[in-house]
Amino acid sequence: MGDAPLLELRNVTKIFRGGGPYGGKEFKAVDEVTFSMPSEPSILALVGESGSGKTTIANMILGFLEPDGGDIYFKGESISSWLKNRPSEFRRKVQAIFQDPYEIYNPVYRIDRLLKITVKKFNLATSEAEAAELIRNALEALELRPQDVLGRYPHQLSGGERQRLMLARILLLKPELTVADEPVSMLDVSLRAVFLNYLEEFKKKYGISCLYITHDFNTAYYIADRAVVLNLGKVVEIGSMEEIIHKPLHPYTQTLISSIPIPDPKSRWEERSELRRLELKEIRPEKGCPFVLRCTHAMKKCEEVKPSLVDVGGGHMVACHLYGG
Amino acid sequence: MEKGTILEVKNLKVYYKTIAGDAKVVDDVTFSVYHGEIFGIAGESGCGKSTLVEGVYRIVKPPGYIAGGEVLFEGVDLLKLSEEEMRDIRWKKMAYIPQGAMSSLNPVLRVEEQMIDAILDHSNISKEEALEIAKKSLSELGLPEVVLRMYPHELSGGMKQRVIIATAYALRPDLIIADEPVTALDVVSTREVLQTLRELRDKYGATVMLVAHDMAVHAEIDDRLAVMYAGKVIEIGSVTDIFYDPLHPYTKGLIDSIPSIAKKKLIRGIPGIAPSPLNWPSGCRFHPRCPYARDICKAEEPELKEVKPDHLVACHLYGGD
Amino acid sequence: MSRVRNSSKIVVSLKRVIGILGKNNKLKIGSSIFLALLVIGYISPYINRLRLGDKRPDALAVGRRWEQPSVKFPLGTDDYGRDIFGMLLIGTMYSLSIGLLAGAIATLIAVTIGFISGYKGGITDHVLRTFTDTLMVVPLWPIYMVIATYTRKLPLETVAILLGIFSWPGAARVIRAQVLSLRERAFVKLAKLNMLNDLEIVFTELLPNVAPYIAIGFINSAMGAIFAETGLRLIGIGPPLLPTLGYLLSITIGVGMLSVRPYVVAAVVAVLSLIFVSLNLINIGLEEEFNPRLKKVTGL
Repeated sequence: MGDAPLLELRNVTKIFRGGGPYGGKEFKAVDEVTFSMPSEPSILALVGESGSGKTTIANMILGFLEPDGGDIYFKGESISSWLKNRPSEFRRKVQAIFQDPYEIYNPVYRIDRLLKITVKKFNLATSEAEAAELIRNALEALELRPQDVLGRYPHQLSGGERQRLMLARILLLKPELTVADEPVSMLDVSLRAVFLNYLEEFKKKYGISCLYITHDFNTAYYIADRAVVLNLGKVVEIGSMEEIIHKPLHPYTQTLISSIPIPDPKSRWEERSELRRLELKEIRPEKGCPFVLRCTHAMKKCEEVKPSLVDVGGGHMVACHLYGG
Repeated sequence: MEKGTILEVKNLKVYYKTIAGDAKVVDDVTFSVYHGEIFGIAGESGCGKSTLVEGVYRIVKPPGYIAGGEVLFEGVDLLKLSEEEMRDIRWKKMAYIPQGAMSSLNPVLRVEEQMIDAILDHSNISKEEALEIAKKSLSELGLPEVVLRMYPHELSGGMKQRVIIATAYALRPDLIIADEPVTALDVVSTREVLQTLRELRDKYGATVMLVAHDMAVHAEIDDRLAVMYAGKVIEIGSVTDIFYDPLHPYTKGLIDSIPSIAKKKLIRGIPGIAPSPLNWPSGCRFHPRCPYARDICKAEEPELKEVKPDHLVACHLYGGD
Repeated sequence: MSRVRNSSKIVVSLKRVIGILGKNNKLKIGSSIFLALLVIGYISPYINRLRLGDKRPDALAVGRRWEQPSVKFPLGTDDYGRDIFGMLLIGTMYSLSIGLLAGAIATLIAVTIGFISGYKGGITDHVLRTFTDTLMVVPLWPIYMVIATYTRKLPLETVAILLGIFSWPGAARVIRAQVLSLRERAFVKLAKLNMLNDLEIVFTELLPNVAPYIAIGFINSAMGAIFAETGLRLIGIGPPLLPTLGYLLSITIGVGMLSVRPYVVAAVVAVLSLIFVSLNLINIGLEEEFNPRLKKVTGL
């Protein structure tokens, strides 16, 4: 169709400096990251362990931080341009769900306030009665009973209810993109799938795309179509969920996949793979591939030259010298 | 493998005093742990599993208190011992790794100082001997000796946790209790830490009790596990039994609701919300959410009974013999 | 229409706050004592009018010199015939006023600087922080003494302002720290995603959460100011026409009442102590409520 991709990151880099304005150590939280989401509604999983830069990327997409290199484009226009010229339109189209159901509410107010402000600031209703009805409908769509939830303070609700309210807020706005940063990692396991079902429903029914940021492949596999794997701020592999899980190419991805705990006692780690003992804390090498210190296939080239992302067929991309990166 | 019992918990009750009455967080729990096995305690938030092990280790703090029951460790009822006698048991015969232990490592002390401090706290040996024990413990768990001279922030999460395990195992306790040891860790570290716990059993014959809400973790290393709901143990069995033949509707629902890369299908989850300890439902506590609930479930609490060999469940569906 | 709604919202939240605070014993006792002192202090002119007619208690020769305590002069008079009990009453009012005014000024500055510093960050924060830290190490008493010796006729407000503008750095640091930590919380990010601008975020999201620390800072500044003024008086510095408790203390001790009529001095000290004890109780009570871990330790 020729539509611009919904979201596109091109060589995005973010450097943090420690030590105050008189200089100090700098470290690259995000290093030339490139990936995109198509204009058709989709769910992309951004998978990485802590320290991989995934939350920094989320903050940049939401406009809380500015990239130091490269740029991020939403529907073909850079985020900084959106925020300068049409901020409320941008915020209407790009929203977020955060990880901690306890932290997302201001403890001094009732939870109604969050929803009411959302309706008010985005002019979703023309009267108070209409606003109240919109909110009621959104709650009911998420199987929350308005009388059980409205008028309560955050500490009076359970984690599951609080996180569902986040979804209610998204339903009120119906943005084009939701950035979900570890939305279920603090929920009980039996609630996770239920929450993720809603994200899937939002995509199908309302065309809301989702960037699902997580360290957990099990849930990523459940709802995402494609995945981007991050290691120490760099993209190491991109592909469809099936390819990443069942045919991972990058040694890091392979280590990750083989280490995922599977809830099946007949399929335990020993039967699946060998694990090379990882040493101390992850050090970010100055040059070359970031995984070189832990990689069982490391070659001389890996210490010198940083591999670039290459397409090995059908949109499956790897950044590894084993594949001609 | 001998099947002697190392720990027998009988009718343990741990309650919390609140303005609104007693919160019955652990309410009449009974189970046994055999020598040399890895025994898991599974359940979601609020089911009482952390409080359960605090009760076993006798570190329940006010407003919590032990309201009844017995905790037989190698035949001795821990609840009847004095604090002095308990101190002899802690760390030397039974060790406990609380939740979040790795973030309580002192950031300004080197690892060796902290390990030695802990060892000296619970024994009457010299500093040099303590250092030797620390070194031995680390190397047994596959950690390089250089770790001793490092500070906690120089170690990865997985390594910190393994240092904690090495410290807990330094005095060779027979039983190690670990409360959510891998919740804050990434996938690869999780695997390392759990395999370390496995090694303790495989190489040194220790018994491990593992508390975790993540069922996948239990599937990877447990031999047997108990499933808790609303302060009670509702099912106990071998790991294969629990995952392949779950009897209790809650266990079934729990297993079915886990997303996994091994299967792709729509998951429905368990309807309803977990109850609060101040207001446990009558009869079987799961009845408001159970698809098979009948009248008796509302009225009578089901007993934990052995329904198949070594497979116990507390559910009226398996009532009459 | 929205004005009515907003003011009723404030009433509701005040009610909620009072409801929460009403349970703490320290707060109840502390605020009762302090409120009593405040009331007595502010109605003291009327009490004195009833007792002395048109004469001010600190006017010379209200009574005879060195009168013994009687019904008319419950604490007697000093060597100038001034009514000590009356001065005790209005002294309460003057000392409390200085404290409250200085506290308010210090808090206003501390909140402004603390918020700008904490919320803006970057160079602004760096500059403001250096300024705050510098001011913090400047020794206050020498400054007070220099100012006091060069100004004879200072009205109450000026004294309060001077005390206030030097005592804000401590509170500013605490507030800055609070704002820094709150700024990163998820609900602030969510507010930004809801199109709230910086001013709205500061006032509606951050301020209510920082409020307890502002209150504690205010009380600390007020106490500090009363303490400073009293102390300066005792070494003879301060505008002589300002009849504060410190002034009363200095003249009674100076005239030798410590040995002749120690109960007079004790009465003044008692009132001062009540002020400090009540304010401290309020402070501790506030800290207990908003730092729940302390509650279990103190056990009250």
